[in-house]
Amino acid sequence: MEIRKLDQMFDILGTRTKQRLVAAWAIDTHTIMAVSEAVKMGIIEGTLVGDEAKIKAVCNEHGIDAGTIKIVHSDNDLAATALAVDLINKGEGDFLMKGLLSTDRYMRAILDKEKGLMDPGSILSHVTVAEPRNYHKLLIFGDVAIIPLPDLAQKVTITNYLIRTAHFLGIDNPKVGLLAASEQTLPKIPSCADAAIISKMAQRGQIKGATIEGPLGMDLIIDKESAQIKGMKSDVCGDADCILFPNIESGNAFYKTVVKLLKSELCAVVMGARVPCVLTSRGDSERSKLYSIALAAMLAYSS
Amino acid sequence: MKSLNEIAAKAQSLSQKVRIAVAMAEDANTIGAICRAASEGFVYPILIGSKARITELLNPFSIKADAYSIIDLPEMDLATREAVRMVKTGAADVLMKGLVGTDNFLREVLSKERGLLPPKAIMSYTCALELPKYHKLLLISDTAVLPCPDLDQKIAMVNYSVKMAHTLGIECPKVALITATEKVSASMPNTIDYALICKMAERGQIKGCVIDGPMDVFLACDPAAGEIKGVQSLVDGDADILIFPNLETANAFYKGLMLFAEGELAGLIQGTTKPVVVMSRSESENSKYYCIALSCLMAEER
Repeated sequence: MEIRKLDQMFDILGTRTKQRLVAAWAIDTHTIMAVSEAVKMGIIEGTLVGDEAKIKAVCNEHGIDAGTIKIVHSDNDLAATALAVDLINKGEGDFLMKGLLSTDRYMRAILDKEKGLMDPGSILSHVTVAEPRNYHKLLIFGDVAIIPLPDLAQKVTITNYLIRTAHFLGIDNPKVGLLAASEQTLPKIPSCADAAIISKMAQRGQIKGATIEGPLGMDLIIDKESAQIKGMKSDVCGDADCILFPNIESGNAFYKTVVKLLKSELCAVVMGARVPCVLTSRGDSERSKLYSIALAAMLAYSS
Repeated sequence: MKSLNEIAAKAQSLSQKVRIAVAMAEDANTIGAICRAASEGFVYPILIGSKARITELLNPFSIKADAYSIIDLPEMDLATREAVRMVKTGAADVLMKGLVGTDNFLREVLSKERGLLPPKAIMSYTCALELPKYHKLLLISDTAVLPCPDLDQKIAMVNYSVKMAHTLGIECPKVALITATEKVSASMPNTIDYALICKMAERGQIKGCVIDGPMDVFLACDPAAGEIKGVQSLVDGDADILIFPNLETANAFYKGLMLFAEGELAGLIQGTTKPVVVMSRSESENSKYYCIALSCLMAEER
């Protein structure tokens, strides 16, 4: 089934074997509430790694039944994160979530060469799934948070992550728009040049499972009328499922526009590690955190 | 046009004789080819060099005295300069190299003040091959001028070749961008250039043709190859034009075909304001004659 609303993830997860979330240094109200809510909804199983006393205190304070969640004790953030990663590597968890530690420390634990979650040569990237108002379907895009200025190879990897995410959301042949400064192939503008190259790679079957078009301006990617006016005939135009951003600035600005200006929901996941990793920020809404957990759970079926 | 003979036939039917200025017209090969064209009536040779030597070379040919002219300038640099000057000023329609080194000849063609290349224009070379085993003419570039073309130069090669194809009556030529593989990879920079050129054509930035690449010669010229490799292409094994990634490849390709596959060719310098014929001495008499015929068609086109 093709998912067109983020809520539909809950319905699907409810019918499947539950994926096991492991939250690192999960001692704060935000994390514990989100995990317990997801468990209560019956979409995941949850393990909180952190100071047991603190976790129980938060549960008591908010009337959460601590019995529904597994607690693994650890004294501090670094040890708890290492332990959480270790649980994943031992096969005792299916995806990771960040608790009250800095993003920096969280990422370092994932990237740790010996004990982390990376296979050699793999690339971490951040994938967002948004449900923008006024758009007729979900929009999957990246990278808005991890890779500042992806080179061609990284763009290909990100494109593949977007496509994989779409597939796990039931979108069989996603339409991918490669955002650039212009739809013209201007060789001196890297966004245009890389988009042209990726588009040809897709034609040659080097990127599979999607219809890819670029370079395209944002108007052409999301608005059919603009495409008609400019005489652009691609199926992707006005009906994109995925957008590859050429750099973090453009992606991040779009992400924040969706949240703040469009007042629309979105969720995100870090891909490229052995398992999906949830990376919510305290600024995210409660709903958005739940969606991010659900999205990672959806993607965990692949790993 | 599907053969070099058709090019010659078309040249023969031109309403006006094309005036060809030959710099240092002092070798038998050049004289032979140009006399054939002159005797067929579509060329008026202006032979520049040592009058004594030229007259001697003309002896075996029964060419009428009013069907050509000689300008007596035995000094090589002066003869070359005069030939270029005549073409530049419109006293001649086509420039042709005789017994002068290609370097010296092209230096004059490229001269900023006296030459035939517009500012910033790219000079390149396209030739049309006729091959017994291919069903039509095959235009290839660049076999002679640009050693290692960059993106802009490759685009120029495409545009020049497409223009030549149009002159030969090929309305929407199929252009194949040649390398060793159909895959795009940063480790093979030419494949990156080719991907860009394809997208430029898709976006209407290159017109009058269909383009695909990267691909190998099989995909370009053998319809069965696409099926075997599972590559769908607008060119589809039916290429009219092959663009090569560098001079070595193009040069080896055409010379191999001349030697082993009984190919004939007609080639021209591209990018100049008027056609410029530069032939290597090793080319057959026929090929030289076809070069002249092609230059006449291109001269007419302007």
